[in-house]
Amino acid sequence: MTCDQARDYAPAFVLGALERDDEAAVRQHLATCPGPHPEFLELGEVVPALAESVELVEPPPSLRGRIMAAAAADLAERQNAPSPLVPSALVGRVSTRSARPTGGRPRFAWAFGIAAVLAIAALGAWNVSLRSELDAASAYRQAVAQVLAVAAEPGSHTAVLSSRADPNRAGLAAIGADGSIHVVMRGLAPTTDGHVYEAWIIAGSGPPTPIGSFTVGSDGTGAIFTTGPGAAGVTVALTLESAPGATTPTLPIISSGVASQT
Amino acid sequence: MTGPIGQLAGRHPSDHDDADRLVLERVAGGELAALEELYDRYRTMAYSIALRITTDASLAEDVVQEAFLGAWRNAGRYVEGRGSVKTWLLAIVHHRAVDAIRRRRPTTELPEREDIPPPGLTLPDLWGEVAADLDRDAVQAALATLSPVQRQAIEYAYFGGLTQQEIALRTNTPLGTVKSRMRLGLLAMRRALVGEGGTSALDGSNDAIREIAR
Repeated sequence: MTCDQARDYAPAFVLGALERDDEAAVRQHLATCPGPHPEFLELGEVVPALAESVELVEPPPSLRGRIMAAAAADLAERQNAPSPLVPSALVGRVSTRSARPTGGRPRFAWAFGIAAVLAIAALGAWNVSLRSELDAASAYRQAVAQVLAVAAEPGSHTAVLSSRADPNRAGLAAIGADGSIHVVMRGLAPTTDGHVYEAWIIAGSGPPTPIGSFTVGSDGTGAIFTTGPGAAGVTVALTLESAPGATTPTLPIISSGVASQT
Repeated sequence: MTGPIGQLAGRHPSDHDDADRLVLERVAGGELAALEELYDRYRTMAYSIALRITTDASLAEDVVQEAFLGAWRNAGRYVEGRGSVKTWLLAIVHHRAVDAIRRRRPTTELPEREDIPPPGLTLPDLWGEVAADLDRDAVQAALATLSPVQRQAIEYAYFGGLTQQEIALRTNTPLGTVKSRMRLGLLAMRRALVGEGGTSALDGSNDAIREIAR
């Protein structure tokens, strides 16, 4: 790219109105060009002001919870600590809802009881004196809180995931009225060698449908949030797969439960 | 409002900026509470920009989430002197929002959502800003000094996410004319916001530009 071409592109560049590859070419030119290019500053300094011209609209309150859950998951991943892994890509698909049930006494005390057990069991397994472990525990608690928030909503369904082989291996799935599915698990063996836990929903006699996968660290917890589609009466099941992207489950089923009205 | 039209407004960091930088330092250190603080400061602006560009509440939420996660992961790459934390953050929102709507258009060649490179690789450029604490009225007034076609070209580009070629097609105007309208429109805004003599960071040498483009 020549200096004249770069100058020609300058207005579009500062406004973000170039194709991204043209944008990269301009950036490359500016990084190496010995010639003067004051036009980029001259034009570009005005652009932030455009953002001030928008009409202000408050985001929905639930967005904060989504962002904080995704950041907590990212932190856990980054620290490679005991990692309750809430895949941030999946958290991004969570439909809007409040992070906590609002108002009044929760209708489903049993669900909160399970949550308390899940949270305490997870915490007890760790030496939580370390900051990273506190953060991991916090991410897990957030995932539990989110599942419970959905479970407390009108029209939701809940499945307790259990395992005959290991009573500690348990979890809770909530299916929102909008079909979104929220699962949190604990007591899982850590994944190795690229293995993942894959969650499935099975409706009636239909084939199992994969809804997402996650890896598990030494804390043994994991969570999945997805837009679904879930519905009443579906079975939520978990299998261990050798890689993400399985289309049929590899037996045995690690843990499963049937969604019923809450 | 602190910056009337025509005020000479070289960029001076405000106390607000200092507080933002401290918060961002904590974000860079991996402090979740700091991210929440940053979110509370700028969620309204961020969401408003994303909503204006995407015109879709659900997509706007995704954009804001991606932008704050981008800031969370890349807070250490914020460079003081290239613009305030607010400008940096809102530029990320803008960039993400434009990507989001371009991805929805059949003609563009953006990768699928799943193939998007990690956020750190696509941070937008920052050029500083002409004035701190501009308010909406001041910017609206500055925009009002543009000719209708200049304003339209800038709005299509910045809020419509259109490329200059797409603007030319949409408005049935030669590409060269579109470029001129954007350039003259930005210069008119600049005159309105900082006055004829306003220099702000323009005193900086070409080294500053290279540094920005780095």
